[in-house]
Order: sequence, then structure tokens, then C-alpha cells
Amino acid sequence: MKGFDAKWRDVPHYINGITYDIWEGRQIGALRQLYAPGLIVRSPASVVVDNSGVIAATLATLAEFPDRELLGEDVIWCDDPEGTTATSDAYLSSHRLMCTATHAQAGAYGAPTGAKLRYRILADCAIRDGAVYDEWLVRDQAAIVGQMGHDLVDWVRAQIGRESGAAGCVKPMTPETDVPGPYTRRGNSDAWGARYAAVISRLMAGELDVVRSGYARAANLHYAGGVDAFGWRGADAFWIGLRAAFPSAAFTVEHVVGRADALSPPRAAVRWSLHGTHSGWGRFGVPSGAQVYVMGICHAEFDADGAIRREFALIDDTAIWKQILLHTGAHA
Amino acid sequence: MKSFSQEYSDLPDYILKITKEIWEDRGLSTLHRYYAPELPMRFPSGIVTGNRAVIDGTLATLAEFPNRQLLGEDVIWSGYDEVGFLSSHRNVSTGTHTGHGIYGPPTGRKFVARAIADCAAKDNVIYDEWLIRDAGGIVRQLGMKPKRFARDQIKREGGADRAVRPFHPRDDVQGGYVSRGNDNEWGARLADILTRIMEKDFTVFRHEYDRACRVEHPGAVGGWSFDFVETEWMRLRSSFPTATFDIHHQIGRSDTAQPHRAAVRWSLTGKHSGYGAFGAPSGAEVHIMGITHAEFGPFGLRREFTLWDEVAIWKQIHLHTGACE
Repeated sequence: MKGFDAKWRDVPHYINGITYDIWEGRQIGALRQLYAPGLIVRSPASVVVDNSGVIAATLATLAEFPDRELLGEDVIWCDDPEGTTATSDAYLSSHRLMCTATHAQAGAYGAPTGAKLRYRILADCAIRDGAVYDEWLVRDQAAIVGQMGHDLVDWVRAQIGRESGAAGCVKPMTPETDVPGPYTRRGNSDAWGARYAAVISRLMAGELDVVRSGYARAANLHYAGGVDAFGWRGADAFWIGLRAAFPSAAFTVEHVVGRADALSPPRAAVRWSLHGTHSGWGRFGVPSGAQVYVMGICHAEFDADGAIRREFALIDDTAIWKQILLHTGAHA
Repeated sequence: MKSFSQEYSDLPDYILKITKEIWEDRGLSTLHRYYAPELPMRFPSGIVTGNRAVIDGTLATLAEFPNRQLLGEDVIWSGYDEVGFLSSHRNVSTGTHTGHGIYGPPTGRKFVARAIADCAAKDNVIYDEWLIRDAGGIVRQLGMKPKRFARDQIKREGGADRAVRPFHPRDDVQGGYVSRGNDNEWGARLADILTRIMEKDFTVFRHEYDRACRVEHPGAVGGWSFDFVETEWMRLRSSFPTATFDIHHQIGRSDTAQPHRAAVRWSLTGKHSGYGAFGAPSGAEVHIMGITHAEFGPFGLRREFTLWDEVAIWKQIHLHTGACE
């Protein structure tokens, strides 16, 4: 790990370590070093190109959720030889976190509800020279909002209002708002990554029979909205519900990492997008005709037969509803 | 697997296939061949003897939950042809409560709960078995509480004098399987963790578990990280603080393309003499059958699945206190 502090053994140690140090260790000031200048953070809700406000944003989150814990479930990573500099090795880390927090104070989510939250985040970070220099992040906003007791669509409507209406609100990530970053690679060429990308591609091509061949019968599934499901029916329901809402949208596999490590099952991380018209009935209700961009990140673990035994798939339902409401004008 | 039919590639394949054939494909009568005529099947709720009784029990369960599915999550196994195999099979059961049965009149509710079955197998036949279902998880999802349900169960079974006695080692019989598992280091590690918990060394979680561990426990409850798992085990141990802890069987496995895994069958036997998960200390003599599965990762124990049967524990307490009405 040339270019990184010698205290970090490997990429998972670094990623889990800095996450802990920043949030629970309260080393928020260290973000000045740990986030490279000009870092672009893309989430479905926004594209943030100026990270000078990151300390303020972190403080705001901690003010709203003072006991927030970030439990690092997995880091699925790859080498990035093309990103290597004279001073540093480079890597792409896909980090899966389970966050726990109490909604104790007022903030971006509205008045405090006292709700005990547990929700996942999947974050793809390009790292080198001891810092994150490009990022894609999906937070399970539907789980957060639901656990606070809000109706999802009502909450998005209120959010648009809090952000001073349709004209002034924060714009979700779309090809129009996205900004190309320095990390342009597509991952590694590991067979497990290719296998998972193929499964998702087939699901998106309407080949739902891939559920029975690609997933273990008892697969443990964890989906956006804090949904835990089991087996073929669970996988079928999530992926059909998503595709049915955007039947003609362009599906693109953006990034693929696969790994077979000694202490872990074979596993994969895939980042993908759907871009097109909300023209079908599915996860998002009445077809609205809205142009929608969906960023998804998924992790999978495989069993001894090469079937998916665990899947963690996140999209941000609130960012999708925001695009729909801004299109229909039903946000007022 | 020389002594098994060619249609099975390995022990997990055998276990998963016969489970599906028996339950979902309705092959109840195949138990005449797959199960030994005199097999002892130990449930926390009591011991059942012989494959005919197992067939009747299976039929009764299917009559109550006709759409019951058993999704096999893992088979952690040990042994070889000459001495027999032991399969510790963890599954997730789903079903809808549409018929009358041990859970009372149909509620129309659905449940999702785990079970772990330790089966000894040799020559294509299961001949010794220990099975724990998450009865507390099922009862809760059907809209009842384990404490009250156990009381109602005693009534349905004819009162305290006639009710079926939960399993206790004094009623045990020899079924023919005598191995205590294998000597893989991961089995030893899980056995050590459980022993430390039962010795009240509650620092063990912060030393041996991944901070992001996911833990699934009886009552169909699950949680993340140290606080959840500590509290769960503390509430069990503090209810039975002087009970004797025994490890009966331990398996560790390091299979290709799998995390290191372990399966340990254990028990607590002794007095209900403390506060914890089972209310005021009753002084009841209780036997608790437990099975724990674990997966280890780069930062320690990453997933733990433990089952004991809350209903069987409450039943032993009620039978002791006489609070059965």
C-alpha cells in the first residue's frame, strides 16, 4: 500500500479504519486529508463537486444522529494499476456498511422522530495517496424514511418543499448533473464479478429464469427499503418490480469487481445504471413518463455451487420519486 | 459417500434433496427408507421414536402449514462412511397457518423461521437426530407469545399431569451415533467462544466477533454488532446462571470457496434461578438444547445463527410452578 500510512495492512483495513476514525472516532477534521481536493461525490440524490463543505455536512449528520455507528460489513476491492501515481498505489473499494443511529435532533430529515434506524450504504471509492479521490454512494434512503414513520412519497414531497421548491431543490444525479471524474476504470476481470454482472444483465433483459439458475434456493436477500427476503421469490419480486417501472430504460453495467479471498466466500460488487422513461407499472406506481436515472450498487456472495447465496442491492427510492414528482408537478 | 446412492454428489446434496423430496415433493412415505425404523428424534419439546412417528409428525405439520417450504441455507457436516456422517442442516422455513395443529386454530398468518437439524446418516439412512425449530419465532409471528402459548399447550395436552414432557437427558436413548464431531480448528474456536460465554466471560464478543457481525437468534430476532449479541446471551445465561453447560458435538469446516464455518450442539441443564429472558426465577429444573452455526471472516466471527426453543423452556417452567391454568 505505497502512498498510504503504514498502519493500514490492506484496503479493507484502511477503508474500515478511516470510516471509524472519521465518524465514531470524531476525527472529522481529518477529512481535509482523507478527501482529496476536487473529490466528486455522486449519490442518487446529488452530485457534489465541491467538497469544501464536507466537514460541515458531516457535522450536520452527526448533529442529527449523534450516536451514528457505521459497521463495515464488507470491502470488495480491486487494484487500479492505471490510477497509480509516482507516489502511490491506487485501488477501488466497494464498501458495504450497516449504519445504526437514533434520529435525535432536527436536520435534513425533518423534525426529530426518535426513531432507531438501521440501514445500509454501499460506497464505491477510488483511493490513492492516502485519500479518496472519486466516489459513488448509494444510501438506503427508503429504509431511513420508512423507519422514521414517514410515507415515502409524502416525505419526498416535503423534502422538495424544504429545499425551496421545484426550481431551487437539490437536483438528483442524472447524466445532465453528473461530472466525469478522474476514475474512469471499469473494475477488475475476476470471473465472479463477470458472473454477477451477467446475472444482473440477464435480469434486466427480462430473463427472470436466471433467478432459478443463478441464486441459491435459500438465498438471503437484502434490498432497498430495508427489505430482507429469502429465495427465488424474493429475488424475482425485487428485480421485476424495478425493471417493470422502467421497461425501456437503458441498462448499463458501470463497474465490476470480483474477488476470491481466503477468509471469505467468492464475492462481487457491481455498480450499474438504468436511464430512461418511467413508462411502466412496478415499484414506482402509476407510469408518469418522467425521465429517470437510477444508480444501483449491489454486492453478492456465492456458494460452493457458484449460486448467489447472499445479495445486497441498493437503489435510492427517494431520488427516483424526486425525479418523478419534479416531472409530474405533483410535488406541491 | 460410497455407502450412499449414486444420485447424491455429497452429503449436503443428499440432505438437501431428501428434505425437499420429503416436504415439498410430499414424499412422506420415503421416510420408510430414508429414516431408520427405530430412530430417536430429539426435539426440545420431547423425544419421538421411530420413522412412523416422524411420518405422522411431518403429516401433521403439513396439514397445519400445507405450503411450508424449507430453504436449505447450509449443511455443515463431519464424518465418513465407516462411522457415519453427521449433517448439521440449517434451513429457513416459510409457511401459512391455514390448518389446525399444535399451534392451535388456524390464524391465516405467515411465518419465516429457522430450524437446525443434526442428522446422523449412514448407508443412505438417517438413524439418529436432534432438531431445534424456532418455535418462539413461529408462535410470535402467528400472533401469540411463547409464555402464554406454552401454558395453552399444556392445557391442550390434558393438563400438567398428562402434558408431553420436554426433552431432558434423563429420557435420552442411544441411537447409535457416538462421534463428537471433528477436530477442525474452526469448530474448536466456536466451542471455545460458547464456553467463554457460559463461563460469563462477556469480553469474548469484542475479542472474537467482527464489529459488523450479524446474529440470528430464537424468536426470529436478529441484530448487528456487539450490543445485540451480548444482550441475547446475557439474558439466556442470567436466567440459568448455575446451569451446567455441555458441548455434545462440534464441527468445523474449511471448504473451497466458502468461509470457515462451524456447527456446535450444546446444552444447559440446571435451575431457572435468575432474572433474564424468562421472567422471575422459578427454581424449575430446565434442560435447554442449543445449536449454533457460525461463519468466520477476516475480522472474526461474522455471522452467528443460534437456536433454542423458548416454548419448551417455558413449558418446563410452567410444569414446575404449576401455573398451567
